[in-house]
Amino acid sequence: MKRLMPFLMLWMAVLMTMAAEAIPDRPEKLQFPPLQYEPPKAADYRVVLKGGTVAYLAPDRSLPLVNIVVLMRVGSYLEPAGKEGLAELTGYLLARGGAGQRSAEELEERLAFLAAQLNSGVGAVQGSVSLNLLSKDLEEGLGLLRDVLTQPRFQEDKLALRKQQLLQSMKERNDESASIESYQSGYLSYGEDFFLNRHTTVASLEAIRREDLQAFHRRWMHPTNFILAVSGDFDRAEMIQKLERLLASWPFAGEKAPQPPSEYRLAEPGIYITEKDVNQGRVQIILPGVRRGDPDLIASQVMNHILGGGGFTSRIMNRVRSDEGLAYSAGTRLSPGVYYRGLFQAGFQTKSRTVAYATSIVLEEMRRITREKVSEQELETAKRAFIDTFPRQFATKAQVVAALADEEMTGRYFTDPDWFEKFRERVAAVTAEDVQRVAERLLRPERAVILVVGHKPDILLGHPQHAVSLKDLSKGPMVDLPLRDPLTMKPLPLAAK
Amino acid sequence: MRSAWKWVCLAGLAAWPATAQQVPVIEKTLSNGLRLLMVVRHDEPTIAGGWVAHVGSANERPGITGIAHLFEHMMFKGTPTIGTRDAEKDRQIMAEQDRIREEMRVEEAKVRAAFRRGEIEDWQKPEHQTPRWRELNQRFQELIKQQRELLVKNEFDRIYTSQGGSGMNAFTAKDLTAYFITVPANKLELWMWMESERLYRPVFREFYAERDVVYEERRLRVESTPLGKFEEAFESMVWKAHPYHWPVIGWPSDVASISKAEADAFYATYYAPQNITAILVGDFDPQTAVSLAERYFGRIPRGPQTAPEVITLEPPQPAEQRMVAEADTNPRVDVVWQSVPFQHRDGYALQVLAQVLNGRTGRLYKRLVLERQLATSAYASQDSMKWAGLFGISAEVREPKTPSELEEGIYEVLEELKNKEVPAEELQKVKNNFAAAEYRKLSSNMAILFQLIWQDGMGDWREINEAGAKIQAVTAADVQRVARKYLTRENRTVALYHRKTTSKAADTPVAAR
Repeated sequence: MKRLMPFLMLWMAVLMTMAAEAIPDRPEKLQFPPLQYEPPKAADYRVVLKGGTVAYLAPDRSLPLVNIVVLMRVGSYLEPAGKEGLAELTGYLLARGGAGQRSAEELEERLAFLAAQLNSGVGAVQGSVSLNLLSKDLEEGLGLLRDVLTQPRFQEDKLALRKQQLLQSMKERNDESASIESYQSGYLSYGEDFFLNRHTTVASLEAIRREDLQAFHRRWMHPTNFILAVSGDFDRAEMIQKLERLLASWPFAGEKAPQPPSEYRLAEPGIYITEKDVNQGRVQIILPGVRRGDPDLIASQVMNHILGGGGFTSRIMNRVRSDEGLAYSAGTRLSPGVYYRGLFQAGFQTKSRTVAYATSIVLEEMRRITREKVSEQELETAKRAFIDTFPRQFATKAQVVAALADEEMTGRYFTDPDWFEKFRERVAAVTAEDVQRVAERLLRPERAVILVVGHKPDILLGHPQHAVSLKDLSKGPMVDLPLRDPLTMKPLPLAAK
Repeated sequence: MRSAWKWVCLAGLAAWPATAQQVPVIEKTLSNGLRLLMVVRHDEPTIAGGWVAHVGSANERPGITGIAHLFEHMMFKGTPTIGTRDAEKDRQIMAEQDRIREEMRVEEAKVRAAFRRGEIEDWQKPEHQTPRWRELNQRFQELIKQQRELLVKNEFDRIYTSQGGSGMNAFTAKDLTAYFITVPANKLELWMWMESERLYRPVFREFYAERDVVYEERRLRVESTPLGKFEEAFESMVWKAHPYHWPVIGWPSDVASISKAEADAFYATYYAPQNITAILVGDFDPQTAVSLAERYFGRIPRGPQTAPEVITLEPPQPAEQRMVAEADTNPRVDVVWQSVPFQHRDGYALQVLAQVLNGRTGRLYKRLVLERQLATSAYASQDSMKWAGLFGISAEVREPKTPSELEEGIYEVLEELKNKEVPAEELQKVKNNFAAAEYRKLSSNMAILFQLIWQDGMGDWREINEAGAKIQAVTAADVQRVARKYLTRENRTVALYHRKTTSKAADTPVAAR
């Protein structure tokens, strides 16, 4: 006991010195140990299975769980005209409509008893079936997964139920101003005929039969169109064997899915207003963006971060929210398109009377970033944000294989295999000149399509303290954009003028 | 002298993967009463850091409802050294702003009085502000301009962002307010500096603009959504006496008029270190973290008083309550019953009961969606808050059935559970899912941080490790007993939603171009 005393006292003395040591007045004065981080390399995870299907595997024995994701090259872009909703229905019912020897009810009961999560879905350009379960149940789970992928039963009663659920959710299309904004933005951004705007309607839903689901399934859901991402509690070599068995002797031959369409049409510049009687207007300013392979991709992301993509460090958030208290959320998005050019979108929500004023601020900031070079500090903040948060997308093994599988699915694995490896140095190389150059290229307020959803009379009234009128914010026309009939998506007549 | 070092270690750090269901939390109380919880995980080179203040809307009073949430916003506004180029001048300008705002409040009271007398129809319309208010506002706007010259906008965010911090955010609930972020593993000291700095000497800059931001948040979430105002009214109806009665975001009149002085007093009471728990989950050395915490957070003096507890107990409900609403929504039914708070012994059986009802193999789905086709979806939950709790069931009507038919259907499902014990296999299925969730909940640093925030916020972080066994111990008889005890007619409040037939929007003439 006594011998311990001096040590204890020394320990406490050290602590007290630390506590007494002055805390610096600014965080820049703190010193940090260096942080080394190497992104995952595809080669360490990638396996080409016998049939040619690619799988990414990441064993991780820390928890007794296995996670298997089958990514599928399939989407609503492959739906025949008049059967809108077929991809979504097929995707959902793959796992929910019975499979193999099991009825839907039996399959659900078994999955629930095993506490296994088996889900499926198909979106616009990609589908997936995922299984998460305890590793002790892996063998049985793979059997169920195989049944779902190869022998889905698409039970009639479950199809009818799903149709009813979709029908009812359709009825809510005009209930929320956010939902109206979403579909109107889609029409303005891509044009009526682009596949993203081929919405499910009552008629298309009625036209879909069980045989359509079966045909859609057999045509596209085949290992040729699959990429696997597998992580969790397993041995790598054993898992490869299991995956070979999962995909072996597929009972039908499908087609290789074509690329999604890439041609779309942005609306003419102007202000488009949809009437909705709420006390807060929703605004979106839309311009063409970039495709993922664009040489300006990274510079444009840095520019977007400074302008409005960087949350509270961005200019638009600072002005619209912090300075003026005009909105809770305000910012910009520049999502690069994989198969077609993405969009630039600035958006916010503000009380009806300040819609015009807040819009004018956002447009002003869009102009300013094209006219003046950004400051070194802003540039540095944006670049550090990308560079230092880069490891976060690989936080878990499930995320690692998902990110690598996505690179494979979208083709960048072949066109730019060093994407992850080089990402940070490419960000570091962006200059203030680059930012201004891409801003000039992309941000053309005179071409902007401005969508406003809200209570038009109050919005046009403006605010006594801010002399801005909405119609002066665009050289284009001011257009009343009608609501759509939620069940047919045909424009509704505008109220009498 | 510093206080004795109390280490509470539920499982050795080295044992992490082997005892995966137990989260190895290390607890330490600093000399000023601030508690520190730590969970070490080396999966990725990051640390999820957060802290929870044991204060929420339940600690407010009428007139200042929404203040706890407004605080959550103000905590990002900086300190004397973060956010301004000249702290002293900044302080002087703010003092003058507050003085003018106090005068403006007098004018705002006149507008409310005019509204009460029926002289104006909308107290928020800018045209109704008094001439004196406008005059004062001009001076106020001048001061804002002066202050802006000195401001370093959102510097708190910028520092974190430029150092690799991500996902910084905060939320306010009825019982707690929490702040969180993920930082790179080498930035532990930055987190200590930043978080202790804003607790130690916060400056509530841009207070009045932020009040407007909060009001926009209210419009966004409550006023301009189809169900927002109905759900708010429903919740107020459920809680008659307890402070859960008012919404977290606050009543419109209160949000618009909370004063800086009220905010200062609230901060002094509820943001004292003894009312706060800091939590770290991720890749760090706990001894270093404790030393740093003592050094940084330890400098904050213990508050002079203990935050007062919420005394009001909701009186037993004497009769069923009911709201019938017409809204822009598919027809639906919400039923809630007064149940039990966090860690009440019946809470575990109620959670099991909710899961017997839930999911595609649950009773609600099987009976109401599949067999009787009364609903398109249905969901049950036990919400155990700090001071009281609710059991709830929500379901969407399958058209052309009616809300009343669905409501009756819900009660029939519950009668079945009251009359007959849940079969063994069905109970086991539910327990299997709770057991698997024990693993799934450990998927990431942030997931663990959130659970600790909630459970410590409710009053005891140990629940993260203790709830599992209590759930597994629930019997079929327990489930039957709690169903009979709590899910009674007089204990429930019901909302029936019908779709509004004539949309006002369609009747509003659209002005000519």
